[in-house]
Amino acid sequence: MGIVAKKVGKSFGSPASRVLSDISLEIADGEFVSLTGRSGAGKSTLLYILSTLDDPTEGIVEISGLNITKMNSEDLHHFRNQKMGFVFQFNYLIAELTAIQNVMMPTLKFQEQTKRRPHAEELMEKFGLKEKMDRYPRQLSGGEQQRVAIARALVMEPHYLFADEPTGSLDAANAQTVMSILTDCSVKQGMTVVMVTHDSGFAKMAQREIEIVDGKMIVDVEGKK
Amino acid sequence: MIFLAIRYLLERRRQTVLTLLGVFFGTTAFVSVSGFFLGFQGYMVQQLVNNSAQVHIEARQDYLGPHDLDSSFFASDVGHVFWTPQPAGVKGYLGVQSPEAWYRRLDADPRVSAYSPILTAAALFNLGSVSVAANLIGCNPAQQAKVTSVANYMITGRFTDISTGGNRLILGDELMKRIGAGMQQTVLVSVGRNEAVPFKIVGRFSTGSRGVDLQAYGALADVQKVNFTPNRVNEIAVRLQDYRDADLLARSWSRLGPERVESWGDLSQNIKSVFSIQTTLRYFMITTVFIVAGFGIYNILNMTVSQKRQDIAILRAMGYDTFDIVMLFFAQGLIVGVFGTLFGLVCGYLFCRYLQTISFMQASPSNPEGHLHIALDPFIYLQASFLAVFSTAVASILPARAAGKLTPIDIIRQGG
Ligand SMILES: Nc1ncnc2c1ncn2[C@@H]1O[C@H](COP(=O)(O)OP(=O)(O)OP(=O)(O)O)[C@@H](O)[C@H]1O
Ligand SMILES: [Mg+2]
Repeated sequence: MGIVAKKVGKSFGSPASRVLSDISLEIADGEFVSLTGRSGAGKSTLLYILSTLDDPTEGIVEISGLNITKMNSEDLHHFRNQKMGFVFQFNYLIAELTAIQNVMMPTLKFQEQTKRRPHAEELMEKFGLKEKMDRYPRQLSGGEQQRVAIARALVMEPHYLFADEPTGSLDAANAQTVMSILTDCSVKQGMTVVMVTHDSGFAKMAQREIEIVDGKMIVDVEGKK
Repeated sequence: MIFLAIRYLLERRRQTVLTLLGVFFGTTAFVSVSGFFLGFQGYMVQQLVNNSAQVHIEARQDYLGPHDLDSSFFASDVGHVFWTPQPAGVKGYLGVQSPEAWYRRLDADPRVSAYSPILTAAALFNLGSVSVAANLIGCNPAQQAKVTSVANYMITGRFTDISTGGNRLILGDELMKRIGAGMQQTVLVSVGRNEAVPFKIVGRFSTGSRGVDLQAYGALADVQKVNFTPNRVNEIAVRLQDYRDADLLARSWSRLGPERVESWGDLSQNIKSVFSIQTTLRYFMITTVFIVAGFGIYNILNMTVSQKRQDIAILRAMGYDTFDIVMLFFAQGLIVGVFGTLFGLVCGYLFCRYLQTISFMQASPSNPEGHLHIALDPFIYLQASFLAVFSTAVASILPARAAGKLTPIDIIRQGG
């Protein structure tokens, strides 16, 4: 199962400029994969395609055996809500909501507030934010904000976690914390984690490192750890 | 989503209040302006329909046209007739042709609440050396009181005091003053070249309208006698169960006999055109206010959407779909609209109640304090709510739809 990409390509605009071509890969359930490459190589583009946020121009993507390019909108949104978590370089916290309200936001889609509340508080405690649950994002440090954003991505206990440079705007210590949280998700909870990063050190913390060069997948280092 | 919409609104209180004020003022203006104009119109209509009959069945008298007599004199012998001088004057009848038939018809019609046969004569009232010309209205006072409100305007005496007959009169205030007569005095009344007949003044009324107050009422039989026309009636005044039936009934009755049948509305065309100008003006004003309020909501929501692009992106990534995002922004507009409307309705209502306490018009027996008449018709409030909510909905749906069309990927690529 996991995530399967078959001959995926992506072009933008007209005249079409090709960003990704002929990418085939398989990510097994529970794997922690990092995507690396130079700026503009197409890492983010690939991540968005693998995570249903964007459509490929060629090829197909299957997640949990489902062809997501053929899924209807309702199923797709349900799948995203229940099975996927996202972390971006910027935290995208909603300024009008407190930390815990931000974390609970995904649970409102299908009225799962009561069911998910204990887990949300558990995550906050684990990330050292127990005392700061009722603070607004502007009252939190950058590192704390990013941890809230990760808690929000994890509150639905997703199968898949997608992270686009999650440490991109953090200092070394905070970046380290985030990395250990992500590793934890994969190792202890069996989550499938796909992470884009610039940092070769962090890239090596993953089980498997995929390097993209000019829209092609060239190096696929596997079997660490 | 409603939860988040409310959070957004509460965090931007100043903008929220400003947009709310737009709808609020629109609604308040609608309610009070409509209340004022419709109150005024209602008052005028009430004056018209309560003070006088709603349908008049009158002996028809038409003006003679220059060629109306051609056929009677010359049949079709000649093509053209030239008259010197041309025929002029009126043709028709001096009385209602078959009053009994009308009475039977009116008695049988359930839409008729009362009717009163009347003989109006142009009379000369003499007291000593003073003589004043005025209308003398002969009626059966019990019936007349049901048709017009004259009985409510009695200052001295009762309107029914003339019912026993025996040459008694009730005079309008103006006429009373002009003759210089007092109560219980006897005046001489003559019609045309007929001999003067003494009448005793047993009552006095004042409506505030000079034309009406320059009239006198007597028993129908007495007036028929001074006029030397026993049994003649030149008008039947009719009151209906519902005055709004007047036009329809007048039209259908006018086909039943030679009489001219007119509704209160036919006799007040000028007032009706004033009403329709007022209505046009009112809607024009209100539409303007709501368009302005709508633009306010549209602008602020548009701004909110562009400020909240990042939130939209992350919500979409969480699995919220287009509909959720549309609702997030549409709800904000609608919440502001509904609350603005509610406050506007309450405030408009209170303002109307306040206006009602202002003494503005001339005092009259039916309105002793001279208060303004303000309509508090629920329909006004319904209409105001509908218009306000409708205009906010229209103003909100456009930015909300634009928000729904944003795709998360483009926003995230721009780094937020
Ligand atoms: N909407 C778009 N229209 C046109 N070109 C695009 C669009 N989105 C991305 N690109 C191009 O696709 C290429 C890959 O972009 P992508 O964001 O995937 O790179 P990246 O590997 O994530 O780079 P970085 O490390 O700087 O984030 C870039 O050259 C970019 O200009
Ligand atoms: Mg990128």
